[in-house]
Amino acid sequence: MTVSTRFGYLQSLFAALWRTNGVRVPLHPLLSLCAARTQSSVSGDPLPRTSLSRPPWSEQTSFVSAEEERSRHAAVVSSVNDRIERRDFGRLFAVVHFAARQWKVTDEDLILVENHIEAECGDRIYLEKVLLVGAEDFTLVGRPLLGKELVRVKATVIEKTESCPKMHMVFWKRHRFQKKRTIVQPQTVLRINSIELHPRLS
Amino acid sequence: MVFLTLSCWIRNRGPDRFWKVQELLKHARHFRGRKNRCYKLALLAVRRAFVYATKGRKLKKRNMRTLWITRIAAATREHNMKYPILVHNLNKCSVQLNRRVISDIAITEPRTFLSLAKLARARQQEGFQAALGDGKEPPGVLSRVMLQ
Repeated sequence: MTVSTRFGYLQSLFAALWRTNGVRVPLHPLLSLCAARTQSSVSGDPLPRTSLSRPPWSEQTSFVSAEEERSRHAAVVSSVNDRIERRDFGRLFAVVHFAARQWKVTDEDLILVENHIEAECGDRIYLEKVLLVGAEDFTLVGRPLLGKELVRVKATVIEKTESCPKMHMVFWKRHRFQKKRTIVQPQTVLRINSIELHPRLS
Repeated sequence: MVFLTLSCWIRNRGPDRFWKVQELLKHARHFRGRKNRCYKLALLAVRRAFVYATKGRKLKKRNMRTLWITRIAAATREHNMKYPILVHNLNKCSVQLNRRVISDIAITEPRTFLSLAKLARARQQEGFQAALGDGKEPPGVLSRVMLQ
């Protein structure tokens, strides 16, 4: 009899606490009073430490003050400027955005573009959307593009053809459904003649 | 006597069945077994081949992208970083290189890839510094940070 009344009292107590959102609902109200458990987040580890719980490299980063960062940046910029003025770099490569695709391009490269270009065979073209230019010792990364007075990529249209005929076929079995057509894409071949850097970096 | 019904019994079924059959068999010449010779078997095999080619052209785009992502992830892990960190920070720096080009750079231009990884790492640290802030609240706000 006493047990039943105590159980009823605890039930009403927990119901009041649940309504005030102060308490996680325990599995059994009698057991939660007996087992006083502290939360494991007090120690601070969200995951158990295993061989794969953290990457094999250390995550420490050294703090660099703003003045030192500015001086290092100025040193890097001046050295790259010197290199460009002395024309000390060898072969340049560039990442160019052309015909909805990005191409990593050097001198004497051939590019096959799968669409029609409004230029005749033998026309010389400037590829103006340059995203990145690199040499052996330095790289210029555009955010997102590099300026037109900084880099110039020259190309020539060599060939304008059509692709080999590709078969596009759909077939559903047991439904008497099939469609077949031939796809022929116009293609253009470009030859990259040269990539030029001009010494005017900020 | 002249027999006329014999010539009426001869039907001309069409002069170019041979060439229509050859049009299909030319797509099957490199197949194995009787599929490269017999029309009925070749029809099924060629149809299957065309359908697989059509589906494969779509799958190729997906597979190539996952391949590029795998390669970029491996290359960034050599430089003590992870792929999502690199991509997220390059996006925040508004560097719009796509995955194909970044994977090509990681293979053929390792120094340039290292510079991209360092750029991403620096941008990540800048983000952390901006998030942590000075440790002070803006003026006119009372909170536990001030009372400590």
